Formats: sequence, structure tokens, C-alpha cells
Amino acid sequence: MMGTYEDFKTNVMNLGGDVTETDFHQRGYHLEVVLTVDTVRKFAQTAYDHGFYLVFVTGIHVLPETVEGVKTSGLEMVYQFATFDRLCRVKARVSVPEDMTVPSICHIYQGANWHERETRDFYGIRFSDHPNLEPLLLCEEDKDFHPLLKEEKKLKSFEEVSWPAQRPDMVDIQTETSSDL
Amino acid sequence: MRESQFQEPNRFFLNMGPQHPSTHGVLLVVLEMDGEYVLDPQPVLGFIHRMHEKMGESRPCQGFMPNTARMDYVCALPYNHGYVSLIERKAGIEVPKRAEYIRVITSELNRVASHLLWLGAYLLDLGAFTPILYGFDDREHILDILEDVTGSRLTYCYYRFGGVYRDIDDKFVEATRAFIKRLRKRYDIYEKLVTKNIIFIKRAENIGIISPDMAIRYGITGPNLRGSGIAYDIRKNEPYSVYPEFDFEVPVGERGDCLDRYMVRVREMEQSLRIVEQALDTLPDGPVRSKVPKKIKLAPGDCNFAVEAARGELSYYLVGDGTSVPYRLKIRVPSYSNLSCLPELGEGILLPDLVSIMGSLDLVIPEIDR
Repeated sequence: MMGTYEDFKTNVMNLGGDVTETDFHQRGYHLEVVLTVDTVRKFAQTAYDHGFYLVFVTGIHVLPETVEGVKTSGLEMVYQFATFDRLCRVKARVSVPEDMTVPSICHIYQGANWHERETRDFYGIRFSDHPNLEPLLLCEEDKDFHPLLKEEKKLKSFEEVSWPAQRPDMVDIQTETSSDL
Repeated sequence: MRESQFQEPNRFFLNMGPQHPSTHGVLLVVLEMDGEYVLDPQPVLGFIHRMHEKMGESRPCQGFMPNTARMDYVCALPYNHGYVSLIERKAGIEVPKRAEYIRVITSELNRVASHLLWLGAYLLDLGAFTPILYGFDDREHILDILEDVTGSRLTYCYYRFGGVYRDIDDKFVEATRAFIKRLRKRYDIYEKLVTKNIIFIKRAENIGIISPDMAIRYGITGPNLRGSGIAYDIRKNEPYSVYPEFDFEVPVGERGDCLDRYMVRVREMEQSLRIVEQALDTLPDGPVRSKVPKKIKLAPGDCNFAVEAARGELSYYLVGDGTSVPYRLKIRVPSYSNLSCLPELGEGILLPDLVSIMGSLDLVIPEIDR
């Protein structure tokens, strides 16, 4: 069932995920995967098949952008996975669409149930096919209050809170890091 | 077999908690019962939710230090450790070797204190009153040792970015060595009193079995995972600080039942003592704090740091925006994932077994609620 590290990377790329190797000593994770709402579940299944466990699920609120005339929600989902067998930590990121709905992965990772409920509490992101999307940490009366949504003036664009785009000369260092995984 | 016993007239709901001794804090578990059998235990969280993550992103990163000790108050130093290491990784701060040694020594002492408290509390859940008195007696020595050097007994704020708040002295070293000697002498007492006690074994053996697959699906980590036979310990698998310099084992169980989780924690105490002993023997001289700018700039981009807390994997995930205030700070706490498996683990079992299972998971509720 479990494949090698390279197999995992190939499988994630095959399902349409954008995979980048990162410097573990700088960021604390090895792989960054960018997904879309259509590939979240397939990615979770691939991660599960390769023996990864779910570390956490959360969101980030950034300044909404207008891409091709469509305004984005400004919310990003972050999933982190790691594995018991080898040193490999994976961060997956999904942009939340305008309808604020992301597919739930708690049918694959049952542990995601609470993480997703918490994310709904804090950001108001909804998860389709979630069995019980009720408030978890916040009370019933605060159902429409989402404390981690930032005020308009405090919002920063996604670029302002991301690592600068990678320079081509960094590739050598990254390959070196990945070889000792 | 058991299925046939569930008959409609016997069904009822039972609230366990939020003021129940064996929920170890303010946790409510709503139980759907059939006679004495639990059909569906659903934990209800949030009674002591304080929104630490919002506090983390509304003040400069130094200001969050005291908060780190107020999640898992039983084993607070690894929470200090994770947070300072995260900021050090993000801002590229060097830490003197002596400071890292002191961090490891104090963190491991805290882990032993946490396991001792757990041991007493778990046995208390099962109806044995005496072990908690022994456990607290031993734990008291650790609290005294740590109080002398950190200034607090429970909610430590001892580590600083780039080192620790103050150096340890000869008194600390002597007291720690004396404690190690003392605890090793006490193992016999615990073994006679608890480990070989038939009543305890009957309450823990083959109860609440966590399979490796279940651990993956729920993200169970720490002694709860190692009880199921998986030797996964962040200190070994994703080495941080100076842990690679020490020789210690990662105890594992076989079946993954309550007894295995008990044995893993008991054996872990000895491993922690071994780490402390080695660290004291090879403690380097030098400064305990490097020069750090007053205002720490957190460069744009995200960063993660995972440490092994007493209950499992603790991950801090930070998004920086170039200022000294984190743009986002996510705290992944171990007990949250460990408890989330309860509905599956506690399905169709006897109520007293549920108490045993919850005790064996070593829950700290303020950490779950954050």
C-alpha cells in the first residue's frame, strides 16, 4: 500500500496537484502542494494510501483578489500531513471558492471531522458532505460569528504573506534536502 | 452478541461531565446508553475556550509566550519549547548550546512530572486512591526543582527567544540528580502497587484497542500511538534541539490497549531520566542566551515547528507578514486529535470501560479547547 516518497510525489502530480519541494530547515515541512476544490479529496485519499496521518486543518484570511472578473473569497485552507515511517511533512493549500464551500475529507480521515468543524467556527468555511457541521469550540449563539476573520484594513494580500518566489539557483539545495528523506 | 441486548426501552442519554472527576477538566461527554452499555459517546468541547490563536495574531510574538503555558498546564515546558523554536526558525536566531541543554533537561523533567500526575489520576479514575498520593509526592520534587530555576510551579514561561531566562546552578544539578536516584528507587513501589495489581490489569487489558490504521485516520500521536506498536516520536523521527545527542529508547506496546498505553508512559519516565542524566553529564559551559533584537521581524511566508509534548505531537504553524506580529498562528495540540477517536473507540462498551479509556488517553482539556 505504501509507496516511496517519489511515488507519492508522482501520484499527487498525476491528480493535478502542483508540488514544490521546500527547504525543511527554513519552513519545517518538505512538500508544498497546491490543490483545487476538485482535487482535495483525491489528494487526501492518496495521502491516506501512502500512510500519511492528518496533522491539522485550518484556514488563513487574506485580501480577496479579482481574478478574471471574479472576486475570490480571500480564504485559504491549509492541510498538513506527516507520516510515521519517514521524515516527510506535507502542506497542502486550497483556495476557498466564492461559495465558501470545500469538500470535507472526514470520510477518509475521520480525525478531520473536528478540525473542519473548528475551521467553520473560526472562518465560516463550509464543508460539503460533512456529517455534523455544528459549532465545536464556540457556542451555539455564536454560530455566525467567526473570530479569525480579519478586519478589512488588517488584511494583506496572499503574496505579502508568502515566501518570495523561488529563484532557479535554489533548486540544487532543495534536491540535496530531498535525497536524505 | 451484544447487539441483541440493545432494546429500545432501555435507551437513554447520560451527561458525563462537564463537572465529572474522570473527565479531567471541563469536558462534557453526551452518552447514548443502552442499560450499562455505551452506544455513542460524543464529546462536547469549548467550555474553556479562550481563542489563543486570535491572541497569537494580535500582539508581537514575545507577548504570546505566557499563553503557551496555559494550554497544556500539566506539561508546559515543551509548549514553551515549540514556540521559541518556531520563532527562532522563522527569524533565524541562533541558540547557545548550553541553553538547548537546559531546555532539554527542564522539558524532560516536566514530562516525568506530567506522567506521574497522569499515573495517579488514571488510577484514581479506576477507583484506586493511593497511587495519586505517591505520584504527587514524587511530582512535588520536580515542581520544587523547576520552581527554583523558572520561578513558577505550573505555568512556566522560562524559555526566551535565543535561550532561557536564567542559568541553572549547582543546587539545580544536585537536586535533579538526587531526584533521579529517588524516582528509580520508587519504581518497585509502583510496580507492586499498580503494574502487578490484578484489579488494575483487569480494568486495562484488552480495553480500548487503538489499531495503527485508526491512529492514522485520527492523527493520534504520543504514548497513545506508541502503545499501538508504532515507534513514532518527534524527538527521534523529526529531531529538534539537541535530542540527537542523547541515547534513549522509544518504548512501544503491542496491542494498543489501555495497559499498553500505561506501560509506555511508565517506561518513558525512565527514558526521560536517562536523557536528563546524560545532559547533566555533558552540560557545556557558555552563555544561556544569545543577543536578540528587541523587535523580532517575522519575514513573509509560513513556517512550522513540531515538538513531542507529553501527550503527542504539538505543532505550531505560523504565517509571517514582515512585521513582529504573526499574521496567523495555528496551534495543533495532541489531545484534540487523541480525543476525537472517542466515538469510535467507545462504541458498544461498558460505561466503566469508557472511564478507563478516557483516563488512558491522558486528556488535558484546556489544551483541547485552547
